[in-house]
Amino acid sequence: MSPPTHHETLLALQNVTIDLGKRTFGPFTLSVKAGERIAVLGPSGAGKSTLLKLLARELTPADGQATFCQRHLKEWSLADLSHRRAILPQSHEVAFGLPVELVIGLGRVARTFDPDITNIVRQAAELACAGHLLERRFDTLSGGEKARVQMARVFAQLWDVEKGLLLVDEPLAALDPGLQFSLMDAIYTFAAQRGHAILAILHDINQALQGFERLIFIKDGSMTGDYTSQQITIPLLEALYEVSLISAVSDSGEFIVAPSKAQKSF
Amino acid sequence: MSASTNVMPFASRLTAGLIHRPALFLWVTLIICIWVAAWAGAVNVMPADWLALLQAGDDQPLTGGAYVLWNLRLPRILFAALIGAALGLSGALTQGLFRNPLADPGLLGVTSGAACAAALTIVLLANSDIHIPISLRYWILPVTAFAGAIGVCFLLDTVARWLTADSIAGLLLTGIALNALATAVIGLCTYLATDEQLRSLTFWTLGSLAGASWPLMLALLALLLAAVWYVRRLVNEMNALALGEATAAHVGVNVRHLRARVITLVALLCGFAVAWCGMIGFIGLVAPHIVRLVIGPDQRRLAPLSMLVGAIILLVADTAARTVAIPAEIPVGIFTALLGAPFFLVLLAGIRKGT
Amino acid sequence: MSELNKHMHDVESSPTRRKFLLQVGALAAAACLPQTWVWAAESQKKTARRIVSIGGGLTEIIYALGAHNELVGVDTTSLYPEAATKLPSVGYARTLSSEGILALAPNHVLATEDAGPPAVLRQINAAGVPVTVLPANDKFEGVLDRVTRIGALIDRPSQASQLVEKMKTDWQKVREPIIARKTPAPRVLFVLSHSPSQIMVGGKGSSAEAMMHYVGAQNAVQGFNGFKPLTPESVIAAQPDIVLFTDQGLEVVGGIDGALKLPGLAQTPAGQKRRIASLEAMFMLGFGPRLPQAVAALDNALLKAMNG
Repeated sequence: MSPPTHHETLLALQNVTIDLGKRTFGPFTLSVKAGERIAVLGPSGAGKSTLLKLLARELTPADGQATFCQRHLKEWSLADLSHRRAILPQSHEVAFGLPVELVIGLGRVARTFDPDITNIVRQAAELACAGHLLERRFDTLSGGEKARVQMARVFAQLWDVEKGLLLVDEPLAALDPGLQFSLMDAIYTFAAQRGHAILAILHDINQALQGFERLIFIKDGSMTGDYTSQQITIPLLEALYEVSLISAVSDSGEFIVAPSKAQKSF
Repeated sequence: MSASTNVMPFASRLTAGLIHRPALFLWVTLIICIWVAAWAGAVNVMPADWLALLQAGDDQPLTGGAYVLWNLRLPRILFAALIGAALGLSGALTQGLFRNPLADPGLLGVTSGAACAAALTIVLLANSDIHIPISLRYWILPVTAFAGAIGVCFLLDTVARWLTADSIAGLLLTGIALNALATAVIGLCTYLATDEQLRSLTFWTLGSLAGASWPLMLALLALLLAAVWYVRRLVNEMNALALGEATAAHVGVNVRHLRARVITLVALLCGFAVAWCGMIGFIGLVAPHIVRLVIGPDQRRLAPLSMLVGAIILLVADTAARTVAIPAEIPVGIFTALLGAPFFLVLLAGIRKGT
Repeated sequence: MSELNKHMHDVESSPTRRKFLLQVGALAAAACLPQTWVWAAESQKKTARRIVSIGGGLTEIIYALGAHNELVGVDTTSLYPEAATKLPSVGYARTLSSEGILALAPNHVLATEDAGPPAVLRQINAAGVPVTVLPANDKFEGVLDRVTRIGALIDRPSQASQLVEKMKTDWQKVREPIIARKTPAPRVLFVLSHSPSQIMVGGKGSSAEAMMHYVGAQNAVQGFNGFKPLTPESVIAAQPDIVLFTDQGLEVVGGIDGALKLPGLAQTPAGQKRRIASLEAMFMLGFGPRLPQAVAALDNALLKAMNG
């Protein structure tokens, strides 16, 4: 699989707003190109998950236009959409304790003819460091193992397509740093090989700065910024989270940010 | 102590048989049960009667044991197995839809809907002056009960969709409310009913397979075959539903359509069973449970095996119901629980020992 | 009563009864051999009539007509005469089994309207065994009508008319003093069953009310038809002079002392004066050939209760 060379637009939002109860989110204007890595940052309750649900088509826009591969998002059938777009959810509970192999295979449930599924499930599991879990029941797994299996399911879903979209909702927040690192790496590799775009909601500013080339800021229900990672400055981040931050540069040249006790007024 | 050592090998042998070749094991068990049930009954049936069945023509009416065998016993045995299968499948589908192993087809309003319609028919029809020909009277109760089962199912689906968007938890809650409402209507009808009407209502609610006949059996067989063919295409999506409604949609399952299809299937299968046999509880709940205990929750195997287990439980229970107190008959519902519950416990014991 | 006791005696010692038992035994034995199995319908003409009776009142009539040796099965409500309880039981009248009844090889099934499920009655009929459902008419005339009809059905018209005549004479004897009586009619509350919070009583048109009218009493409950639950408040409002139980019901509640503890009863005239009466259920409400005796017994019981 060779990496794609030209960057076409996968997803485009044009002044999209969402009504959720009494609250209105948006307008969001944003486009995602194949192969891009975008992190969505913002304080809790700002509307990050709402944006993700809009992109996942769980919520319908109240106004504006949302298109995926040049077609209106609402015109897509769920099955067709699932061939091009996968979502790694924040929570990963599965009822009944299905076998792990089946859970991973369910990523491909919308394909009517799928002769290679066993092979794909196994490869996807291995990429997500879950190859040794295939024989287990999902409800006997630890939190970290469940996360790996869900990731393998998402990999299986977009295994044999190119230029898809991977939506990630901070799935790794509860895992230990080593596992976070290796799983993020697996996601980057998987997406890079196939030209998939990644749009991830993240809490960890450092992870966003290190792994993503573009950062979108969400605050109080609307987009407040769309920057490349080079454009990010400490004041921008401080304004977003309304905390004081300090920064340092690591031995290997990486930019590291951490909250500081000093009070500032915004 | 010796009793427990006897139970354990039986339990583990049972589970071992179920685990390794479950479908084969259950088919063989079912066929043995049918064979035994065909010989058991108040009237003694002889090999000669079986021969008489094969030789009988239009000019030679069946008599004695052959008559009972052909007109009463065989249709009833097969009907019991099919009703059990229908209830087992309904249970597997309902539990899959609600993602809850404790869900029962009754949650979808099938039972209360049928009972409500039956009660209303008995009380209102008797108090109105509508004259129904004798030949139709026999059909009126099952047909209205069937309509009631399906009607309440779809009413529930519509109301739940309207009140709680497409959430399945909302369906469950609306179901509880609607079931309570139906129970109130049944209670009111029971209160208003005369002794004669109460009697009709009792016949209907007691639950019995005595009404079995060949046409009914064939109608149910056709319905069940159609359902099986249809379910084959749904089982993968039912599995995906275990991931949660949102995730199921992400992997391409149209949860709204799936839900409508499952509700339709359960309404038809369970509605048929309730309308013709009254209330036969427990099978819809325990048959899928037994299967899940032994071979796991994969709907691709759960659905067909639940049918087999349901068929076996109801057949054994009905055979017991009609033979234990010969020449009297005991309500079958007593035996479904009496046989199903210990069997379930033995399996639990076997599983516990196995792990 | 003596008439029926005599019947009971007959049953125990009758040679036909023994012959019948032998027949059943022979049938059971024969059934084990395929070639000797005989289906009753084939030999209907040759063998004796075989009746299954579903309904205690009908069974009593059959015994009173001296046709007890033709009975091959009864339901669980056939408790009188006691010999009837020794016959094969086809179970609860509402959950009959077609195969179970056919296995008794009857050539006639007599049933009250309580019998069912309807599908089973249809199947028995379809198997060539006529099923006659006799309407429930809880009146003296209804009982006479049933006696006549059953007499005709089982070829005992003369015995039936004798029984009818005898019942009419008894009836006259029992009813005359009641009609002539000048005392005001007592208000009677009939309690069929009870729960800790409510009691189930006989309203208008119930069989219990018919019995009250026959003994010159009036039903204390007039608000509804049939048997329905009554709140404690309504029990007090009904102001019964006497509370009537079945023997079985009174026993379950714990006798007269227990009855007085039922909700509301203590505040009624009946409760304050401990006027509680009871009769055996099937005797009082069975509407069989013992009806005149039952009316006499009820009259006695009520008079005794009124006069302490």
